[in-house]
Amino acid sequence: MTGGQPSPSTPKKDGSIWFRAYTWIDERVQLRTLVDFLGKKYVPVHSHSIWYYFGGVSLFLFIIQVLTGILLLLYYKGSEELAFESIQFIMSKVEFGWLIRSIHSWAANLFILAAMIHMFSVFFERAYRKPREITWVTGMLMFFLALGFGFSGYLLPWNELAFFATKVGTDIAGALPLIGEPLLVFLRSGEDVTGATLTRFFGFHVAVFPGIFSVLLGIHLILVQRQGMSEPFGEEGEYGKGKKTMPFFPNFLLRDLLLWLLVLNLIALLAVFFPWELGEKADPLASAPAGIKPEWYFMFMFQTLKYIPAHIGPFEGEQLGVLFFSAAGALWLIIPFLDRKSKIGQKSRLLTYAGIFIVLYIILFTIIGWMA
Amino acid sequence: MDGMTQRQVIQVSTVFFLLAGFHARGSAEEDQCFVCHSLLEDRPSVLYQSDVHRRSGISCSGCHGGDSSSDDMEQAMSEQSGFRSIPAGDEISAVCARCHSDPDAMKPFGANLPTDQFSLIRGSVHGGGSVKGGESLIQCNTCHGAHGIVRVKDKRSPVHPLNVVATCAGCHSNPAYMRTYNPSLPVDQREKYRTSVHGEKNASGDAKAAECVSCHGGHEILRAEDVRSSVYPTNVPGTCATCHGNSDYMAEYPIPTDQLETYSGSVHGQALLGKHDLAAPACNDCHGNHAATPPGIESISNVCGTCHALNADLFSKSPHKAAFDEMGLPECETCHGNHGIVAATDQLIGVSEDAVCSQCHAEDLNPAGYQFAMHISSLIDSLETEEARGTALVDDAENKGMEVGDALFRLRDVRQARFETRTIIHSFNQEECTAVFDKGFAAASFVSGEATRAIDEYYFRRIGFGISTVIITILAIALYLTIRRIERRQKEMLHT
Repeated sequence: MTGGQPSPSTPKKDGSIWFRAYTWIDERVQLRTLVDFLGKKYVPVHSHSIWYYFGGVSLFLFIIQVLTGILLLLYYKGSEELAFESIQFIMSKVEFGWLIRSIHSWAANLFILAAMIHMFSVFFERAYRKPREITWVTGMLMFFLALGFGFSGYLLPWNELAFFATKVGTDIAGALPLIGEPLLVFLRSGEDVTGATLTRFFGFHVAVFPGIFSVLLGIHLILVQRQGMSEPFGEEGEYGKGKKTMPFFPNFLLRDLLLWLLVLNLIALLAVFFPWELGEKADPLASAPAGIKPEWYFMFMFQTLKYIPAHIGPFEGEQLGVLFFSAAGALWLIIPFLDRKSKIGQKSRLLTYAGIFIVLYIILFTIIGWMA
Repeated sequence: MDGMTQRQVIQVSTVFFLLAGFHARGSAEEDQCFVCHSLLEDRPSVLYQSDVHRRSGISCSGCHGGDSSSDDMEQAMSEQSGFRSIPAGDEISAVCARCHSDPDAMKPFGANLPTDQFSLIRGSVHGGGSVKGGESLIQCNTCHGAHGIVRVKDKRSPVHPLNVVATCAGCHSNPAYMRTYNPSLPVDQREKYRTSVHGEKNASGDAKAAECVSCHGGHEILRAEDVRSSVYPTNVPGTCATCHGNSDYMAEYPIPTDQLETYSGSVHGQALLGKHDLAAPACNDCHGNHAATPPGIESISNVCGTCHALNADLFSKSPHKAAFDEMGLPECETCHGNHGIVAATDQLIGVSEDAVCSQCHAEDLNPAGYQFAMHISSLIDSLETEEARGTALVDDAENKGMEVGDALFRLRDVRQARFETRTIIHSFNQEECTAVFDKGFAAASFVSGEATRAIDEYYFRRIGFGISTVIITILAIALYLTIRRIERRQKEMLHT
């Protein structure tokens, strides 16, 4: 398809209920402006177009999280005494409660996976280059929040694995120099992981994080709509001059919907055949079970910390490790401002190699950690 | 002359002149201390006449120092000759230990004489400090006496088996004295002991019957709570078996000597000796400590009931209580045995060969009891089967990844009901037994129902997934066709 396509038509001007509804809304909120905007929006078509869909898949999975999360909230009780039992109740007594919880858990993991793929595709395409630096930063902040969602949500069932994983996880945060101790106390709401930690994590998970995430998501989506899809180096050009594009509405959106349907079926498959286990209720007085592991998306960092010697010179190995990952995350956040070559339309080979190394490192250490 | 009466002055003067007169006839080796003090007829010298030490040629100076060869009192009891007067406090034991802890010194008196008494007593419960301070709680002479010391086997010895109880009781039956050291320790051991079989035999002159030292040891006595003590719970069976497991020693007594062997294989013995479970009974928990005696036939349920309270209570209210007493049967022991008691199984109930009920309740002689035993046995079997069925269903559901927490929880109730049936059976009351069985059956029914529902749900989910996949596939195909149709129309519009 080439440029200069007709804009999507508004509902036919007849007396149908759709037309009357459209007119009613248009008279009040100037819907025509939005429709005209969407009608003029095009998506570039090229060999790397497939990566565009992962942003949409991430959005779809986030919507699933919100919906299933709201349904879980109807029965979940965020206290030390009742959290585990309420999840048990959801899993065994509430109609389709097992399905909602399994979907919530699986979709959470798929969400982070899709967001990761989306993030690395943007990185390798240098889609963060001017003028999309803010889009990258908001996306990265959302990714960090997604990790926060995962970490806080993992504790909510108050089972044995979650309890000790949270203990280990917050211990690692506590290893940070200067702010480590107060951060640990803030996260745990005290010295130890207790019912107060659960209440705090519940608050983060259902109120603080979603609030911030929604604002960031709004900015991110507005920017994407305003700036359009980024194009790979060498394929930039103006619409209507032999460049392949497709209308965002309805062509790209319907393709998005098709992929969403397939993802939905994948989640249903996972939920039915691999229902998310609940395990044993946490017992703070019990000793930690063997093989405590974090969620897969923290695994590479966890595994790395295990390989770092206890002391490196005058410093503690764990402290250095945590500092290194914090610094790496901060650099990754501001990469659009550091990558000078992309600003002048060039692709830095060094950054590409660094990106490949990071991806391979994450995959390798995740596998090692999973198998350990 | 301060401190000496006129009579004493005359006595000493008389002795002095007599000694001076007979000096030429006195032998150089003769114990001049004893010669002089014998003439005085004081108590120490009277007692020392029969003392084992004097018989072994040990002079007064062996303990008191001085020159026993000199008939000159001034010289014999002078500081230069090493006279140390009457030892006091820890000096007493130190004087004894000087020889009794020295193997070389003791060798001439017997190659097998022990020399560790002093170190043993220092490490024992009696080795602590006295309330007076600065000295040990007891000294050698506290038990063995002084001057009149004889061999332990000598019936005059305060530590002879027939006398040792009184010796120990000298302190241990004195509440005022014992309160100063261990207020919680009973002081009625002697009274209890005198009521025991051991005590009765000891009182009748049987030195073989166990007394204090037989169980607690002599110099090495430790608190009963000390794991090294011979009367620590896990050591009690071995201590009792020292005599009761020795067939030669016990030959003159008409009781068996295999108690330790049978007890070790019993459920109690395995718990105490194998698992070191101190809640399990040792010999003394059933037979008593100081008042050790075999429990009477009519009181066995009370003895067992000390721990098995519910069973004993139910039994005492059951029709079996009166029947057993009438027939002279030893209550619990009749069905469960005594020293060799094994863990009770469900097979004890019923009319099979392994069951104990049918030993009395024959079908033709006692049809009601026979029927009851058969009925209860069938209920036990049924409940066991229901529990196994419920467990299998729950396992199956769990293996299928289903949440069956409630069923798992109620499965404990089934198990609990089965345990309760083993208790309630002691009531031998059909109504009471049936109530417990019904509780178990209700829980088992719930478990099986929940697990079955979960398994059905497992298959329902798969069917549901199949249907939803079909619907999603149809929707996806429809969407794909719509995209194709829209794009075809867009192409046509472009070409026109």
